[in-house]
Amino acid sequence: MTAPKIVLLPLAALLLVLFLVMPSPARGAAGEWSTNPQSRVRLISPWQVAPRNGELMLGLHFLLSPGWHVYWKNSGDAGFPPSATFQPAEVLGAPEILWPTPRRFQLPGDLVAFGYEDEVVYPVRAEIKPGIALPATPAQTSDAASSDPAPPAGILHDVLHDVLHITADLDYLVCQVDCIPFRYTLTLDQPLGDAPEGDPATATLVQTWVDRLPRIAREIPGVRTGAVLDASRQGGPDLEIRVLGVQAQAGKTDLFLEPHETFDAGRPRMRAVADGLVFHVPVRAREAGKPLPEKTSIAWTISNLTAKDGKPFNLEARREVPVWTQGGAAPDPMREPAAGGAADRFPRQLLRAFLGGALMNLAPTVLALLIAAVFSLRLPGTGSRAGLRGTGLRENAAAAVTGVVGGCWAIAGLALLGRRAGVAADWPSLLQEPAVGALLAIAAALLALNLWGLLELPLPSVGATRAGTGRHLLAGLSTVPLALAWPVPLLQEPIGAAFAHGPAAVCAVFAMVGFGLALPYLLLTLVPGLAGRLPVPGAWLPRLREGLGFLAGGSTLWLLYALSRRVSPEGLAWIELALLGMSLLAWLRSREGARPAARFVFVLGLAACAAGALWLADHDRLTPRRLAPRPATVQQPMTSNTIQGG
Amino acid sequence: MRSKGKLFSSLAVLALAALPALADGVVGAAAPAFTLKGLDGKSHSLADFKGKVVVLEWINPNCPVSNRHAREKTMTELVKQHGEVVWLGINSTSPGSGDFMKPAEHLAYNQKYGITYPVLYDESGQVGHAYGARTTPHMFIVAPDGKLAYNGAIDDDPPGRKAMNARLNYVGHGLDAEKGGKSPDPASTKPYGCSVKYQ
Repeated sequence: MTAPKIVLLPLAALLLVLFLVMPSPARGAAGEWSTNPQSRVRLISPWQVAPRNGELMLGLHFLLSPGWHVYWKNSGDAGFPPSATFQPAEVLGAPEILWPTPRRFQLPGDLVAFGYEDEVVYPVRAEIKPGIALPATPAQTSDAASSDPAPPAGILHDVLHDVLHITADLDYLVCQVDCIPFRYTLTLDQPLGDAPEGDPATATLVQTWVDRLPRIAREIPGVRTGAVLDASRQGGPDLEIRVLGVQAQAGKTDLFLEPHETFDAGRPRMRAVADGLVFHVPVRAREAGKPLPEKTSIAWTISNLTAKDGKPFNLEARREVPVWTQGGAAPDPMREPAAGGAADRFPRQLLRAFLGGALMNLAPTVLALLIAAVFSLRLPGTGSRAGLRGTGLRENAAAAVTGVVGGCWAIAGLALLGRRAGVAADWPSLLQEPAVGALLAIAAALLALNLWGLLELPLPSVGATRAGTGRHLLAGLSTVPLALAWPVPLLQEPIGAAFAHGPAAVCAVFAMVGFGLALPYLLLTLVPGLAGRLPVPGAWLPRLREGLGFLAGGSTLWLLYALSRRVSPEGLAWIELALLGMSLLAWLRSREGARPAARFVFVLGLAACAAGALWLADHDRLTPRRLAPRPATVQQPMTSNTIQGG
Repeated sequence: MRSKGKLFSSLAVLALAALPALADGVVGAAAPAFTLKGLDGKSHSLADFKGKVVVLEWINPNCPVSNRHAREKTMTELVKQHGEVVWLGINSTSPGSGDFMKPAEHLAYNQKYGITYPVLYDESGQVGHAYGARTTPHMFIVAPDGKLAYNGAIDDDPPGRKAMNARLNYVGHGLDAEKGGKSPDPASTKPYGCSVKYQ
């Protein structure tokens, strides 16, 4: 018996040592490094525990030996950019590699390359689809049943074992003067949970490189850029790119063009002008004798600019650039239509804004409020024919128009203030914010309660004894937040162009959106007789209002469904309970015989429920914050018993 | 007369090389004339192949991307499929570069990978610059009328991840088009690979 013991003891010790020195499977915020003499690369995540669904910003983290570089999306004269396919595609979709602003490398033979040296993180934007069962991870399969190494994929795991096994099949070329291609399969086991927990180190790293992504030119207040390609010049075609509202950083500012299917580009020359910079790039058509297009899509990135407020930034723009072949002076690059509102195109943008605003009347909540409010315009004198001809109807409708336009201007003012504070979020992005989604759901729910007669709001209603235009003004104002939940694609271009143009254009465009949204009231203001064609209100009107209440209620459900992708299931349940609480309190308050003091308490409770719903939406968010200038990809643990992957 | 012609063509190459890089390799323009010495010790001129389709492949055995295509027989299989074309490899690597390969070594490399077509030395890089060759491999098709018909990559798969039959071989498509009396489409693409190791 002693002999086997002698053999077994060293064996056990060896196994223990092996166990201790064996690399543990990559888990959480960073995968294992794949290493070669020229570079190291790994897959990283800003999350120890990532949200179960929504955006997941991963990173391809490269460390490069001195003198070696990897490439930007346009590699320059040689090389090629890294490419990767990510799995599981059924959960992650097709993640997109994002490209931080590069630098220029000079190679022998007057060749150039665009890329990164020393260190780079390519941010990778993935979206975890909701409601997808996670495939089993290798660790789980070996734990579960060693005799059956291949359990069926797609089985649902216990919540404590939700780990997303991410792989990236990566190809890249690393060059000094020589180049070496590498291919690796990078892995990362990403725990998912309802209590997202950031990893301070990797989150900072990913954020550092997200910050080095060029900013979209149209989203930068006070900055404009445009280009023209002058193909009529005797010395060869010249691409002129102008960027205004910026200054160059001495010796650092550079221009990078994305590959173009028709033209090759040479080395840019830069000069400073009164309000910005002008670049001239010699270009050449790749094929001789081929007719040039009238316009061509050109994308450029400009590095190391300084804004008027002194802040450094990188800029990115893509424009339909006119190709000038007629001789004489080429048109002004800033007149390019897509550059953000050339003067001759502005009336068209205003018309689009008006039409977009008018379309928003078809949004369910807006429609419900509109139908209910239009019949109440006849006040004073419910249903009386006198009301139609009297000044009351015209005044009430004008008050509603004023309310709508005022509401639009208030939104424009908030957006301008936000941009001045450095928070440049567009409308669809704002709607991704859980608190904004919850606010819109609350607004729709309040309207439903009002239409069902459970909650008296300072809105016009049939049978109201109080006259006055104030309620119609408020009805107009209320229309705006209700309309915000339904972004109309038609409006995105005029609004984008307006912000590129300046505050006056923003005011003009938002006024037109307002007039469009207030179109029914506007018509009644101009032609009060139209109201005479509406059915005379009768006993059916309260029933219509109650029916419209279901339209508003349906909108609430839709908004809650949209919210389900951005807050945890438990958070959503609490928000729904808060809305139910609001309804209960509204019903209690509406009972006959309720004392004034009790009614006041019920209103306070209702407001508390609404505030609670907003707080819950923000607290139980699954998606990274988009509104802050530096998105808080790191969230502190919300509970002490953090969920760990299995 | 012959030496005068040679001098003239050399001057033409020099003049072209002196122009900015953007003046080179335009599809539809006349392919720059050249006379270069091959591994076989013989001189090869583009003018010798007038009336034929000529493929020019910028090659560097020490470039892993060029080498991958040798291992995968991308070029040699195309040469077999298109016996009607003249295929020339051109190595513009400067003798001062670590990638430079002496003729004996280059011949051994060619034998190893079944490269039977002539490989020409362009040590000064003048011909490379005249064509605007930037990468290894960088491919050109010269049509029978002496004009450039294609300038760009060998295929659409820079990392070489796809199966051979799943890749879009631009040169193969271009040669098929030339065979049918048509022009290659696309006629130009972005080449990929190592940079040409010029002086």
